[in-house]
Order: sequence, then structure tokens, then C-alpha cells
Amino acid sequence: MEISGNLNAIGYGLSAIGGGIGVGLVFAAFINGVARQPEAQRVLQPLAFMGLAFTEALAILGLVFAFVWN
Amino acid sequence: MIPLALPAATNESEGFIAPTIDDLHLPEILPWGAHYGEGFGKQMLLVLLSVALISWFLVAASRRRQMVPGKFQFLGEYSYNFVRNSVGKDLIGEKDFRPFVPVLVSLFFFILVNNLFGSIPFLQLPTTSHVGTAYALAGFVYIMWIVLGIRTHGIGYFKVAVVPSGVPKAFIVPVVIIEIVSTFLVRPLTHSLRLFATMLAGHMIIALAASGSAFLLTQTSGAMPVLGVLTMAGGVGMYLFEIFIQVLQAYVFVLLTAVYIQGSISEAH
Amino acid sequence: MNEAVILAAEGANPLVPNWWEILVTVLGFAVLLFIVTKFVVPAFEKTYEERSLAIEGGIAKAEAAQAEANAALEEYKKQLVDARTEANRIREEARAEGAQILAELKEKAASESARITEQAHVQIEAERTAAVASLRNEVGTLATELAGKVVGESLADDERSARVVDRFLADLDSQQSAGASN
Repeated sequence: MEISGNLNAIGYGLSAIGGGIGVGLVFAAFINGVARQPEAQRVLQPLAFMGLAFTEALAILGLVFAFVWN
Repeated sequence: MIPLALPAATNESEGFIAPTIDDLHLPEILPWGAHYGEGFGKQMLLVLLSVALISWFLVAASRRRQMVPGKFQFLGEYSYNFVRNSVGKDLIGEKDFRPFVPVLVSLFFFILVNNLFGSIPFLQLPTTSHVGTAYALAGFVYIMWIVLGIRTHGIGYFKVAVVPSGVPKAFIVPVVIIEIVSTFLVRPLTHSLRLFATMLAGHMIIALAASGSAFLLTQTSGAMPVLGVLTMAGGVGMYLFEIFIQVLQAYVFVLLTAVYIQGSISEAH
Repeated sequence: MNEAVILAAEGANPLVPNWWEILVTVLGFAVLLFIVTKFVVPAFEKTYEERSLAIEGGIAKAEAAQAEANAALEEYKKQLVDARTEANRIREEARAEGAQILAELKEKAASESARITEQAHVQIEAERTAAVASLRNEVGTLATELAGKVVGESLADDERSARVVDRFLADLDSQQSAGASN
């Protein structure tokens, strides 16, 4: 069986691993914090989404490079 | 399921051809049948349709103000208050959030409706899966928070934004470089591409499941149609999941907009 | 069409925007933002304000009513406590008064009885004295007469007769006390 496709897809898949783990860690910490101290949610939520944005940036950059270096 | 977007899966000699990104780039409407990018297309029509729909809905929901709202008014008020309170008030702060409520509400409804177009039969094109729309929205937000920052801090805003306090002198140069890249380059890029990529990927997955099911059910024999039923079921599941993702991405986009605005207008960094 | 799709697939990069789409999006979003800013948000804010005013007014009214009810309850409680103390006080007073009256009465009765007893004693004493005196006179006279008659001898001599009577009475006394001791 012949498999055809673009190696960039594999590159993007690799870059998404780090982002996925990172986003998981960010939200695990966020949920932990809110579970222990529910009144801190308002403070933690922007921080959690900032962390999400930073972490996900890596995966998104991977996607960009997968398309750019064709 | 997606009649226009499917490639010629019927060509038996070539076997199955998976849908590509360009199946989202349909021929233009004006002039009819022109190549994509040379005229007025379905995506632009949907953007204008969404503007008309949202305007009609919001104006109608807000015009007849009653103390005890009906279902229609309740839906409008509920989503409006959701954006106003749990995004604007909570993230920007009770003191300063009022001027930004229109921007947040417009962005939320615009993205929500444009995303949901991907799940409405016959429309079936999330307009935000075309990168131009995502660039335009994120660019608007980008310009807005830079202008807000300059208005709050003067030209020293750039120093406030890129030089974090409490960093040892030895590390200041790499930290500033990282901050410049992450704040002024990566931030708008990820802001737009997060929306674009999730919409594109979700739509592609559904298109793949649909065309795969169609190929397996109609072009194969033996046990293969059973697989077609499975891919069809998976496609339906992905369709429902995609609706959730579409709503979630609208929320995340507006949430990050509020976070960026808050970072620009707050005193300390 | 298939060829066109394939050709497009080779040329198109999904990250390169279609400028017309950007333009349409910006214009559409600007129109939406204008409508939302101009009409929708003020209307919603007004509804919101009116409703919160109505709710706050209702809450204020309810709070006032609650405060009033609490004040009335306090008042009633205070009155109840007052009434109870008053009743206690009155009862105490009555008890004290009763005790006093009783004591007074007792005292009065005691003094009265003492007085009566005293009076009786005095009267008895006086009567006894009188009786003794009259008896002594009469017995003396009678006895002297009797003796004179019996003896035939004039007992006119007062000194002698008095001595005889005295001796007789002393005998009588000693006889009496002997009888009492028996």
C-alpha cells in the first residue's frame, strides 16, 4: 500500500504534542486552584487564558510553518 | 451532505480522493463560476448575511423592553449579559469595562454566527475558516489594544509592555526580545490563527467523514459499506462536537480580546 | 472542474488571505459595531438599569418592611418584659404589704391582749384588795359583835378586839394554806 502525503503534517503533529501537554497542565493547575479556593476564580481565569494563549502559540506556529515551508 | 464541496469521489479509476483545503474555496458567485479570489464569493455573502442576521436579532431583542422578558428577548438578554458580565466585567474590571461592551458583544456575536454557519445545512461554510476574516478581526483587536495602551500610558506604553518589572539586569535583553516577539508578533498571529485553524480543521474533518462515507457506501462492495456506516456515525459525532467547538472558539476569542484590553489599560504590567 | 481544483490546490496557501474577504469582513464588522454601539447596547443597558432599579427598589422596600417588623417585635418584647417586671414588682409589693399588715395586726393583737390582760390583772388586784378590805371590816365587826354577844363582855376595847381579829385571821390563813398544800 502506498502512502502519499506531506511530511509537514507529521511536523505539525509533533509540534502539537508540546502544546497539548502544556494546555493540559495550564488548565489542570487552574482547576486545582479553583477547587481549593473557589473565590480566586476571577483572578485565576485571565491568567489561565493567558497561559493557554502562550502555550497554544507553539502549536499554532507549528501549523503556520507546516503551511509556509511547502 | 456537502454537495458542492466534495471532490469527485465518484471517479472509480482514481479511488478515493480526500477533500482538500481548496474545497472550501468555491468558485465565485460574481462573476459566476470565476476562480476563487477573483470576485465576490460565497464567504463574503455569508459575512454580509451574518451582519444582517445579528443586527436584526439584537435590535429586535432589545427594542421591546419588558420587565419580564419573553423567550426571544430572554435569549438576547441572556447572551448579552453573558458577554457583558462574565467576560467584560470579570476580566476588564468593574471600573473600566463599560466602553468595551459594544466591541465585545459585536465580536462575540459576529464570530459565533459566522462559526455556526459551518453547521447550518446548505450554508455549510464557517466563514472564519477563510483566513482573511480571522486576520481582519484579530487585526482590529490588535490595533485597538495598542491604541488603548498608548492612550493610557503615552508613548511609554511600549516600555511598559515589553520590560517586565523585577527582572535582573543580566537577563533584561533576552527577556525584552522574548516579550517583543510574544506580545507584538505572536499574540495577533495566534489570536487569528487559533480561530481560523480550529474552524478549518473541524470543517475538514466533517468533510472527510462525509466524503469517506459516501465513497465507502456507494463505491465499494463486500464488508466495506459497514465501515461506511461507522464513518457516518463518527461524522455525526464530529458534527455535534464541532458545534461545541464553534461556540467555544467564539468565547475564547472574546475572552482573549478582553484580556488584551485589560493588559493595555491596567496601570501596572 | 476537477482539474481546476487540483490546480488551485497546488497554488493556494490557506494562510494567504483573500484581500476582498478582509475588506468585506472589516466593512461588515464596522456596520455591526456601529449598530450595536448605537442601538443595541444602550437599549440593553437601559433595560438592565430599569430592572436593577426595580429589583433594588423591591429589595429596599422589603428591607424597610423587615426592619419595621423587627422594630415592632422588639417593641412587643420590650413591652412584654416591662409588663412582666411590673407584675413582679406589684406582686412583691403586695407580698411585702401583706406581710407588713400581718405583722402589724399580730403586734396589735399582741399588745391588745397584753393590755387586756394587764387591765384584768389590775382590776382583779383592785377587786381583791377591795374584797379583802371589806371582808376584813365586815368579818371583824361581825365576829366582834358575835363574840361580844357570846362572851357577854364588852369588847369595846378596840385595841383588844383588833388583836383578836388579827389572830383569828392569821389562823384562818394558816389553815387555808395547810389545806391548799394538802
